[in-house]
Amino acid sequence: MNKSKGRLSAILQNGLLVIYAIFALFPLVWMVILTFKADSQMFTTTFIFTPTLDNYNEVLFKSDYVKYFIDSIIVAGGAVIVSILAGVPAAYALARYDFKKKEDIAFQILSFKFAPEILVVLPLFMIYQKLGIYDTYFGLIWVYQLISMPLLIWVVRGYFEDISVEIEHAAQVDGYSWWQIFFKMLLPLIKPGLVAAALLAFIFAWNSFTFPLMLSGTSVQPITVAATKYLASDSVHYGQMAVAATVSALPAVIFALCIQKHLVRGLSFGAVKG
Amino acid sequence: MPLLALLLSGLKEEIRMKKESKTANKNAGDINTVPFKTRARPYLIVTPALFITIGILIPFAMAIYFSLTSYSFRLPTYSFIGLKNWITIVKSSEFWHAVWVTLKYAFFTTVVEMALGLGIAILLNNNNNRFTKILKVVLVFPLMIAPVIATIVWQLMLNNSVGIVEKLLNVVGVYNFPWAASPSTALLTAVMIDVWVNTAFVILLALAGLQSLPKSPFESAKIDGGSALFTFRNLTLPMLKPSLYIALLFRLMAALQEYAIIFALTKGGPGNTLMNLSLTAYQTGFQFQKFGAALPYILVLWLFINTVAKQIVKRQRAAQKQALGKD
Amino acid sequence: MARIQLEKVTKKFGNVTALNGIDLDVKDKEFFILFGPAGAGKTTMLNNIAGIQIPEEGVVKIGGEVVNQIDPAHRNTAMVFENYALYPHMNVYDNIASPLRSPLYKKDEETIKKAVDRVAKMMKIDYLLERLPSQLSNGQKQRVALGRALVREPNVFLMDEPLAHLDAKLRNAMRTELKEIQVNFETTSIYVTHDFMEAMSLGDRIAIVDHGEIVQIGTGDAIYYMPCNEFVAQLMGDPEINLIPGTLKKKENKYFFTLDEGVAEYQLPAEEDLFKKLEDSESEKVDLGLRPQHVKYSFEPMEGFLKCTVYSYESIGNKSVIIAQYKNLQIRMIAPNGVTLKLDQDIYVNFLLEHSLFFRAETKEYISRYNEAGILALEKEQEG
Repeated sequence: MNKSKGRLSAILQNGLLVIYAIFALFPLVWMVILTFKADSQMFTTTFIFTPTLDNYNEVLFKSDYVKYFIDSIIVAGGAVIVSILAGVPAAYALARYDFKKKEDIAFQILSFKFAPEILVVLPLFMIYQKLGIYDTYFGLIWVYQLISMPLLIWVVRGYFEDISVEIEHAAQVDGYSWWQIFFKMLLPLIKPGLVAAALLAFIFAWNSFTFPLMLSGTSVQPITVAATKYLASDSVHYGQMAVAATVSALPAVIFALCIQKHLVRGLSFGAVKG
Repeated sequence: MPLLALLLSGLKEEIRMKKESKTANKNAGDINTVPFKTRARPYLIVTPALFITIGILIPFAMAIYFSLTSYSFRLPTYSFIGLKNWITIVKSSEFWHAVWVTLKYAFFTTVVEMALGLGIAILLNNNNNRFTKILKVVLVFPLMIAPVIATIVWQLMLNNSVGIVEKLLNVVGVYNFPWAASPSTALLTAVMIDVWVNTAFVILLALAGLQSLPKSPFESAKIDGGSALFTFRNLTLPMLKPSLYIALLFRLMAALQEYAIIFALTKGGPGNTLMNLSLTAYQTGFQFQKFGAALPYILVLWLFINTVAKQIVKRQRAAQKQALGKD
Repeated sequence: MARIQLEKVTKKFGNVTALNGIDLDVKDKEFFILFGPAGAGKTTMLNNIAGIQIPEEGVVKIGGEVVNQIDPAHRNTAMVFENYALYPHMNVYDNIASPLRSPLYKKDEETIKKAVDRVAKMMKIDYLLERLPSQLSNGQKQRVALGRALVREPNVFLMDEPLAHLDAKLRNAMRTELKEIQVNFETTSIYVTHDFMEAMSLGDRIAIVDHGEIVQIGTGDAIYYMPCNEFVAQLMGDPEINLIPGTLKKKENKYFFTLDEGVAEYQLPAEEDLFKKLEDSESEKVDLGLRPQHVKYSFEPMEGFLKCTVYSYESIGNKSVIIAQYKNLQIRMIAPNGVTLKLDQDIYVNFLLEHSLFFRAETKEYISRYNEAGILALEKEQEG
């Protein structure tokens, strides 16, 4: 009796998951299908058509897409690297040391993520012009810190807090210097959180739209901004647009697949110690 | 700027301590002060992060300043007009409409994303088979499509003449569903796209939280004979709070200031149906070129966001401490 | 191998004073015990010696040298932490090998392997070398922590309740091992425990710590027989000492002790030295201390015995404890296992007064005891 009840519930649950899976994945699948559809067949067919690589050809080889793609990689990747280099030590300080206004500083850093981008962008526009960093990699990487660093610091801080401070003491007594402790003992233990947060930071940076829209012009154009170009023209090449969209998702997808193992583990807050 | 002030006060304290210790040194051959290297460490370590972000904070100050002016790109000069901009917007129906839209959008997206995200995470956690294993990896993909692009893709799918969704709806007898074109369904459409992109974030955090729950409390609950609902309400939910609060925090704050999706969808239309505070600010600032007048919109938004965020963060830290304490 | 000294060491955490003017002198090669209740400050002392914390006031010396400003890595101490502090991402072998791989104490891999194997065998964990800490039981973790400390040749071993989570059999075995190691290596050791048997058997000298202050230092026997106050007397000894409140009365050359509870009056056996001390102390209200083994009982009424009722009867291993109740006073005594008795049964209790200790009732301080001279002579011999 119980077993069939259990099985029924399992079927039901998996059924719900299937529904959600369809909702979540169908647009992606369809998008990929679109990449292979020629413009001529775009509106006349649905699933049955003659696949073509023309769209890929057009976008990847005959347009500036690759340049935009590389711009995105430089800016988003650079932003994440800077966030890690500055953020991990900050997370450590916030976890270990008890200095005045600690929680206030921590909240300030977190609040950068919610600062309405429009608010920051208007004045920054003027400042960047004055400083000459408008439309530069440096300028974008710097402003991206607002969205990539906060979550990273918060996740990594949680991880540092989970590491008993006695482990650092034991390592000190064993004869290790503070730097060695940091690299040999602490970093391996925060790896899941660091890697998962880095992925999210990368996604936030990669997807950012307002900042590059306002703070860069022609020399640095991440693909989010460039994609809108594909809409602006009179005749929209949906197939090409689909290619642009699909390819733009690739870096994050690859990153995610690589760190799959750590992804879910890494984002637990208040977790039991391993 | 609060941050700058914090850092400065910290440094001032350091300098003072150093001075004190110097005089004490002369007297007692002081061997008990913690070495400066160690004392300075916390400040040194936080500084790079602060430095980077302090630079960004200056615009905030400027924004406040400019909101009190009649600054505009068109006009060569601007004058300080005090609170005129602020008073204008408080009186304008445009402002209050924007507030209403902002709240509506934020409410619906957040509620759906949190409920759906938590629900899916629970389902995934309870069922461990090949399907769910793959799903766990793959469900993160929508998050990786930039919201702008996602909106474009969805628009195409929903297109009344050629969209795939349209074609599917035709099968069940629904034709020409207006989606983003009608004021009554535009919000629904925008919310749907937002949910599609961002639910994965909630699922990730909720799932991570679920998978890190300790087993023993649940085992003893089983022995005590608790029903599934009881276990969920009194055990699972409280222990998940830290993760859920973070998810809530990020999603709610993002939804309150959502710009990209609405902009790509209808630029705020139809009419002004979807003109939330962000979009109104953009329009006033860039389209109508009234910089100074645009800023109060955003500053109000920012004030609201900051206040709500503080509350959520306070609760999150408390829940996290509690969860750790239980172990 | 070094002498450890703490001179007027005070350690504060915000408003809390963890250590208050501590003076400690641990001789070179000594096995020194820190004994006291939880929160007394024992771990804080170890931390200050190791260099993990720096005192607000006072001087820490290792081998005669002031080490306050020297960081833990350079103090050449080895520490066993109460919560093990094992490196979670390294297996047991790497955990134990860790001190020998640090830049300061580096050895080559062959030496390391020999050392780790030796220690692992000693700790009986040689079959666990490949495991991660998360896969170990508490007892096993504790042994790994011990191993990590023993693998070095430091100035001093600092051990914080290292045997607390081991089962009785293993604990006894380890106790012997530890003592042997310490004697062989001739390394100064400071050992924290709250197990009084352990303290007595392992320590050359014991320091009783309470609320950040050192209450008494001495050999185990000295502290046991001549505790400086009631707190120490109750701490040392299992089952706990009996403290009987009462009044001293001197009639001619005889001393009488009357229980506060009820009216039973006892004449104290004569001893000149003791009586002199009692007189000098000018105390009337005293607490008479009597260890449970110095209380006899009978189930038949006997002359001079106090009538009580049985409150409880518990086995504590190879013997049992009977607690007898007389009005509001509870008296503990040793009994063999397997005695047939019923709760609330009548029991007649006799005090072997010639073994008693005396404490002032108001200050709880030690006044004197029977045969004090003999004890002192014994102590001199031990310390010699």
